[in-house]
Amino acid sequence: MDLTYSPEDRAFREKTRRWLGVNVPKDDPKTLGERKAWHRRLYEAGYVGMLWPKAYGGWEATPMQQAIVQDEMARAGAPPAINGLGIGFIGPTIIVHGTDWQKQRYLKTMLTAEEIWCQLYSEPNAGSDLASLTTRADDHGDHFRVNGQKIWTSSGPIADWGILLARTDSKAPKHKGISCFLLNMRQPGVEVRPLKQITGSSLFSEVFMTDARAETRDLVGSLNQGWAIAQTTLGYERGANSLGRVTRYAIAFSQLVRASKELRRGGRPLLEDPVVRAKLGKIYAELEVQRYAALRVLSSLQKGESPGPASSITKLSYTEFEKRYFELALEILGPWGQLIAARDEFEEVDTSSGEPGTWATAFLWSRAGTIYSGSSEIQKNIIGERVLGLPKEVRADRLKA
Amino acid sequence: MDFAFSPDQQLLKNSARAFLDEHVTPAAVRLLWDDPRGESETLWKEMAQLGWLGLSLPEAYGGSALGMVESAILLEEMGRAACPGPYFPTVLAARAIEEAGSDAQKKRWLSAIATGDARATIAFLDADLDWRPDAIQTRAETTAGGWALSGRKQFVPWAHVASVLLVPAKTPDGLTLFLVDPGAAGLTLEPAQMMDPATRLASVTLEGTPVTGAAVLGKPDQAGPLLGGLLSRGAVGAAAEMLGAARRCLDMAVGYAKVREQFGQPIGSFQAIRHKCAEMLLEVENSHAAVYYAAWALDAKAEDHDLAASVAKAYVGDAARKVCGEAIQVHGGIGFTWEYDLHLYVKRAKALEAMYGDADYHRELIVRRVAA
Repeated sequence: MDLTYSPEDRAFREKTRRWLGVNVPKDDPKTLGERKAWHRRLYEAGYVGMLWPKAYGGWEATPMQQAIVQDEMARAGAPPAINGLGIGFIGPTIIVHGTDWQKQRYLKTMLTAEEIWCQLYSEPNAGSDLASLTTRADDHGDHFRVNGQKIWTSSGPIADWGILLARTDSKAPKHKGISCFLLNMRQPGVEVRPLKQITGSSLFSEVFMTDARAETRDLVGSLNQGWAIAQTTLGYERGANSLGRVTRYAIAFSQLVRASKELRRGGRPLLEDPVVRAKLGKIYAELEVQRYAALRVLSSLQKGESPGPASSITKLSYTEFEKRYFELALEILGPWGQLIAARDEFEEVDTSSGEPGTWATAFLWSRAGTIYSGSSEIQKNIIGERVLGLPKEVRADRLKA
Repeated sequence: MDFAFSPDQQLLKNSARAFLDEHVTPAAVRLLWDDPRGESETLWKEMAQLGWLGLSLPEAYGGSALGMVESAILLEEMGRAACPGPYFPTVLAARAIEEAGSDAQKKRWLSAIATGDARATIAFLDADLDWRPDAIQTRAETTAGGWALSGRKQFVPWAHVASVLLVPAKTPDGLTLFLVDPGAAGLTLEPAQMMDPATRLASVTLEGTPVTGAAVLGKPDQAGPLLGGLLSRGAVGAAAEMLGAARRCLDMAVGYAKVREQFGQPIGSFQAIRHKCAEMLLEVENSHAAVYYAAWALDAKAEDHDLAASVAKAYVGDAARKVCGEAIQVHGGIGFTWEYDLHLYVKRAKALEAMYGDADYHRELIVRRVAA
């Protein structure tokens, strides 16, 4: 056991910090063009696609270096790269399951964010039970015709391409009749409607497909193998945000402390109130434990170990922590915590979504983490069945199948 | 960066597990519950032979000079076995003697501790239920032959079997630590009966108890920082033991959920039970990270070592309470019986939650460090 960073990792951190010091733009990029240009600079500096194979334009860096970059970016308040879903998940899926043609056509432009990608998985009636999806893709020889509706699509309005799960065999058991496609979003049969969330902004969309066209050459893997492809756990971004996330929590904590010094109750700063102190101490202990746990995961990734279903513990842990964190912050801040337009420095925080906002925005966003990418309930099922080896539940759809 | 145990550390863990599984069975623990001393001389000598008592002592005194990570590994396994005895109080007191003691004091005590011939304990808690060294009210007044101690110490671990008590007291120079013979005049021990029958605590009343000048451990007025450091170690050690007890409770709950059937199926197939078990595992894994980060930080003298110790104690105390409590719930009625072994571990964790600073105390320390 040795939790010191290696000399190489320390040097890499220094180098990254220097690069960010020189290159982080003074004003956050606003237009898509500006965001793409910043992404491109990060990519060329070696800070995007870090774990991708060099053959596909990646950098073959280590998980620790990738985590250090995210950590330093959080520290520097650097604007994030874009196309995260593509680079973290869709690209690796193509690398593992795609054809040579697909790799040549899609991977490089994905890394450089010349083309933006989105994910077309969830449907209004297929959330946790994703395999019950009903979007259809019918075989028309050289292409499939796609009809249906997707929801919770991030980057929908700016996406050029989407990875799609659609039903290609309606007679097969539900997990066995699904195929995976790469779908051109820029076609008349695809309509994207932004979905306004409880935060007031629209980071997600609904996507309606009416006789949309998916080319046969864009089928990923074999026909009706889509479910297995969607289930593949791909390690390219795992642990990437672990340190950066905790650094963002820590920055927010110091703002919370500053707020507790400035805001007063009963003739003294909140920070002198023992109840407030107890809450701060509790949340800081949890925050630090998130950091220790992140180091533990990184050290294991660094050795090439795959956490497998245990990564559900990580996801469950930090998303549930985030809810407690912002609940407690809002308890301490009272109505100040519910401002949606910041008037003072301590009121603006980095939310988990990357969307800048106030404590109120962060509080609202913290509700999303335990729902997306497999809700806490789904994670607990995975932990129970696949880590602890508890018996599977008797499920109505399994009885039918 | 390597969070995993080294091969030697893993070996220590495996051999501790094997030894405790064989010698400290639940039945053996229950036998000691009814024993007036509450510990086994045979077990103590075996631990000495295994090198556990001298684990972190210098080699000159028969020790292995290993660190807090190794201590935490052993303590986690002891917690997992709910192993009774003055192991941790003794090694913590040994640490104090090693850190602050004169050559004569070290010679007198450290080898004897390593060989299992002496037991020791620290009387942290004074009349006030306050773990801060500066809350100590016990006084030492100078006499012709040295000092006379007066005051009341509470909840002193294993004082009734200790060969020496480490007693902090206020002197005109400041807070000072004394080595006190439990048989000294004016010293009364009053054992307390605790919820965990394997946790033996006593109050120690000092009424002008005489000690010689040679009984001062370290410099007069230096006991505050020394006790602060020992409390950090105590916090991490207690957290490690709680982690072991909590993991045992989780293992028992999961094992039970796999075989106990209701409504025609194992109860572990119900989400109500499975989700509890998943949450328990989450708490146990986070506790593992907290304990071993803090242990490593102490060994590495990392800048945040005291902070990490407080984080571990505050976090693991809460986590162990949740895990042990939910283990009873998963078991249902059987978990509430004296006959079933679950309460051995539940009670061990609960006992440690209150020791070496409870979660409230350590949360306040955390805030002092990070919100100054």
